[in-house]
Amino acid sequence: MKKLVVLFTAILAFTITTNAQQFITKNGKISFYSDGPLEKIEAHNSQVNAALNTETGAIVFKVLMKSFIFEKALMQEHFNENYVESDKFPNSTLKGKVTNAKEIDFSKDGTYEADIEGELTIHGITKNVKEKGTFTISKDGIHGESKFMVKLADFDISIPGAVTGKIAEEIEITVDVMLKPYKK
Amino acid sequence: MKNWLKVFAFAAIIGTLAIAYMWFFVYNKPHKDFEKANPDYVISAAECYNHYSKDKNTEENNYTGKVLQISGTPTSIESSDSTVVVVFAFNSGMFGDEGIRCTMLKSHNEKAKKLTSSSSIIIKGFCSGYNDTDVILEQCSLITK
Repeated sequence: MKKLVVLFTAILAFTITTNAQQFITKNGKISFYSDGPLEKIEAHNSQVNAALNTETGAIVFKVLMKSFIFEKALMQEHFNENYVESDKFPNSTLKGKVTNAKEIDFSKDGTYEADIEGELTIHGITKNVKEKGTFTISKDGIHGESKFMVKLADFDISIPGAVTGKIAEEIEITVDVMLKPYKK
Repeated sequence: MKNWLKVFAFAAIIGTLAIAYMWFFVYNKPHKDFEKANPDYVISAAECYNHYSKDKNTEENNYTGKVLQISGTPTSIESSDSTVVVVFAFNSGMFGDEGIRCTMLKSHNEKAKKLTSSSSIIIKGFCSGYNDTDVILEQCSLITK
């Protein structure tokens, strides 16, 4: 009988592990936008790493700061050299959890609200964040979208004195990722 | 013409030229043309990936932010929307294949889509760094041998 229980537990554990699905992308898109009195700032990054474990709800994003492309070369230079200091802090990350993962049926097509909590690291500063997003599940995978605001001062990104008040102190971040099942 | 008028006219011309210079060559200066840029380093794709994956900190300063010209055999070509990425995979990890990912310039998308994983190619682009899984090259162009 004991052997049977052990065998049953082993089979159950194996089934749970194989069902635990990892969804990934390396072509995720993150853009940011700010509309200050002096100028609009917009930049796009289309080489974002993202992974979601649908069983545990664990979610990870990794972004190379130098991969943000701006319309103006001068803005891109200032962004890398003066604002985010990308030589010193090359990556930004979000490590967190979809807290309502249990309420999302990842096997059924549809659009679901997602509550995401985690640690956002930009410019070497880590802050706890709580944001909302949506997951649209289809045969193509999981399409994750989110839009949220980030305060530059929270991440120790200072606006040079000459342009204080002319550049927005908060920027809007848009996340758009198409996660596909990861096959080992 | 009165002297003060001459001085004023001269100052106005200099001022206009200075503003025009700032507008065209500083504020609106064009992005670097990576297709025409001379590479800072010419290396093989494998050599480039190995440097980053083995000794990230040393190479972070060498190749990151530089124009690299790499050669090797691509393992896959990914195409989505208007973005084409040429991939050289050397390893496997939590995010799948790991290696070098080259986002092509739009003008090179069609040529890149026709690449096969059996022929050796040369690609030039701006290296934006290593994200612990891949070396990322942006604004890449194919070099015809």
